[in-house]
Amino acid sequence: MIDLEFSEQEVLLQRTAVEFFISECPLAKVRELEDSELGYAPQLWKKMADLDWVGLSLPEEDGGAEGSLLDLYVLYLELGRALVPTPHLTSSVIAGETLARVGSPEQRKLVSQIATGDLIVATALMESDGDYGPEAVQLSATPGDAGGYRLEGTKLLVPWAHVAGRLLVATRTGPGPDGTTLLLVDPSASGISLERLDNTAGYPLFAVVFDGAEVAADAVVGEVNRGWETLTPALDRATVLQCAEIVGAGEAVLEMSLDYAKEREQFGQAIGKFQAVQYLCSDIAIDLHLTSLLARQAAWRVDSALPYQRELALAKAQAAEASQLMVRQAHEVYAGHGFMLETDLQLYTRRAKHWQFNLGEASHHFEAAVDAL
Amino acid sequence: MQIRFTPEQDAWRQEVRDFLDAELPPEMGFDVEFDEDEALWEFSVAFTKKVGAKGWLGLNWPTEYGGLARPPIDRMIMSEEFEYREAPLCGSISWGLTAGSLLAGGTEEQKRYWLPQLGRLDLHAAEGLSEPGAGSDLASLKTTAYQDGSDWVVNGQKTYTTWGTHADCLFTAARTDPNSKRHHGITMFLIPYDLPGISMTPMMNLGGGQQNHTYLDNVRVPEEYMIGEVGGGWKMIMNAFYGGGIHAGHAYYERTFAEVLEHCRREKRRGRLLIEDPLVRQQLGQLALMLEQARMLTYESVSNYNNQIPPQFGGALGVVVSKEMRPRFFEMCQEIVGPLSQLKPNRFAPMGGQAEAWYRQSYANHAGGTSQVKRMVLATRGLGLPR
Ligand SMILES: Cc1cc2nc3c(=O)[nH]c(=O)nc-3n(C[C@H](O)[C@H](O)[C@H](O)COP(=O)(O)OP(=O)(O)OC[C@H]3O[C@@H](n4cnc5c(N)ncnc54)[C@H](O)[C@@H]3O)c2cc1C
Repeated sequence: MIDLEFSEQEVLLQRTAVEFFISECPLAKVRELEDSELGYAPQLWKKMADLDWVGLSLPEEDGGAEGSLLDLYVLYLELGRALVPTPHLTSSVIAGETLARVGSPEQRKLVSQIATGDLIVATALMESDGDYGPEAVQLSATPGDAGGYRLEGTKLLVPWAHVAGRLLVATRTGPGPDGTTLLLVDPSASGISLERLDNTAGYPLFAVVFDGAEVAADAVVGEVNRGWETLTPALDRATVLQCAEIVGAGEAVLEMSLDYAKEREQFGQAIGKFQAVQYLCSDIAIDLHLTSLLARQAAWRVDSALPYQRELALAKAQAAEASQLMVRQAHEVYAGHGFMLETDLQLYTRRAKHWQFNLGEASHHFEAAVDAL
Repeated sequence: MQIRFTPEQDAWRQEVRDFLDAELPPEMGFDVEFDEDEALWEFSVAFTKKVGAKGWLGLNWPTEYGGLARPPIDRMIMSEEFEYREAPLCGSISWGLTAGSLLAGGTEEQKRYWLPQLGRLDLHAAEGLSEPGAGSDLASLKTTAYQDGSDWVVNGQKTYTTWGTHADCLFTAARTDPNSKRHHGITMFLIPYDLPGISMTPMMNLGGGQQNHTYLDNVRVPEEYMIGEVGGGWKMIMNAFYGGGIHAGHAYYERTFAEVLEHCRREKRRGRLLIEDPLVRQQLGQLALMLEQARMLTYESVSNYNNQIPPQFGGALGVVVSKEMRPRFFEMCQEIVGPLSQLKPNRFAPMGGQAEAWYRQSYANHAGGTSQVKRMVLATRGLGLPR
């Protein structure tokens, strides 16, 4: 059977999310949060936790809702549409799911705190060459005191590090192909410092500098030298959700472009009557729709425990490219008006730049897709 | 056919370089369009006045208007050198648009009076053409001016006024015949900002610069500030050429490309220099191609002038290419540099965060008109398709 529609339960969840974010996180609030120190709204985050969204995919025994990836998918459509800034992806999905799956009993206790939103765990992967993958992990974890590790190096583009109670850090402990180890680190420990990295999206990104920081042996998450492999299932799921966020945002960009095309008049008619503008709007619709189809397929395959590498890689390659094309064409529709900060389009334009690269840009995923053939 | 510079032109290029060596410390190169720092702006004005004092702003203009009557290729060479160094030349609305309009449609007296001032940046003009309801459709403008004694009384709203807060006067278009429609009955004015009734509110842009809404409320403008003929405004705007001569638009890409290339020669990914990565090489090739296209379009303008050939394709082809190239070029720069290209200036930002700024600024490509409208000009005037 082929059925690309969401289930009743997913539709219901989506409807709730649409209404919730319309009232709790209008774009005026998004602008405000971007300029704030925290970057997110703790009350909103708490309310999301109360709705079971923060722990949506975490196990029930850890206080989660044990939802499917498709459940998360519809939530991410709405997070994208409303541009809600939350640490959900890095904390609940990447770190939370990984700790729930392979964490020690002690580490698992943190999962329930993640599910309630009380603890934020930020994942630290990328380093100075900007590459995404185990080879790029060079931050060294060498034997330290009492069987622990000593960390030396710098992580870049670490999201939400400033509000994280723990960092899940990919470190280099052995030779490739993996040779990485995940360590759960308290960012307030000595030898660790944060630097905010201002960026296009206005997203809270940080450099985390490890200058001989010591962590105990029980900081290891999963197996030594198999860190990337340990993280991969959660990263893959997060990648699907990044696609969903792009689709949701793309729907908003399309809608606002259509509204503008209908309402802006030049030469005595709505600009939407000009074929040139119709072509621009249809470009957005086409790329957005293709992204949605591929992303839904990837989500479904992951949920169904089917091989998904090719489908996932193609979905993110498509989504990364679409994220740019959509805003580029929307800027054509809006012309001068779109370049002004007072216009909401630019909020999407800037975030799309983060999403394009987050969890692998198009070229990375084209490679991965070909590897999977 | 020949595509090279003469020894005299090479010498001129050297003269321009010597000037820049003397007057522009490398760290003072910046994009005046997208920086609101007051100290930098003052540097830019002082620098531009030095250029003006040498007669170079109006390099091509007749000597009786303060120019040096040099051929357009010299101004293009100068533009190349200035762009390579990111020279913060300001006032392009003055010596570019306003001067170009005067040269095209000003009276002899007006030209002799205004052009020397514009060419030295003694008079800094902002552009007040667009209105909230009149963008691509400029001829629908609603600002009015009526005569009262020896004054014109101007009312209306202009928008997207770049450098409004820095300029001395507003080069603007108003409807002087209340019964006129579209492009008839429009007259140009150069309105001093210190006249009562003018106010502005800022609009910040995605590139880091500022435009303004400009409100004209019963502004009494003495008649000497009317430019050209009463009702001759549209013709003047249409015939205006850029008083700054042939702009070397390609040199902007040349400079940014050089930075990206340098980055690729220096930085490694997966243990390999970027310049050795096959994908990066393809992407660099694409950038080089766009840059070469832009360069040949500039050179074609020079050649057309030398051969007295009117531009092909309604003069629209080069504009379409450059407007559409800009966001794509800088998207690709970021793809080459990778995820860290989203960082603003910071010790971890590649190339000092420049790629980040170039990308945001690339959406200014609609300034002066959209590519869609220029494509229609290309298709109708240029290719003869029915309107
Ligand atoms: C950075 C910047 C600086 C600027 N500085 C100044 C300045 O100093 N002074 C000034 O006066 N103006 C300035 N402008 C305004 C600029 O000239 C206008 O943005 C430009 O003319 C386009 O008008 P618009 O933005 O209103 O777009 P619109 O005309 O509203 O166009 C919207 C969309 O409709 C399309 N469209 C319109 N008409 C047609 C048609 N007939 N057929 C097909 N498609 C059509 C356009 O292509 C575009 O896709 C500036 C703009 C920018 C971005």
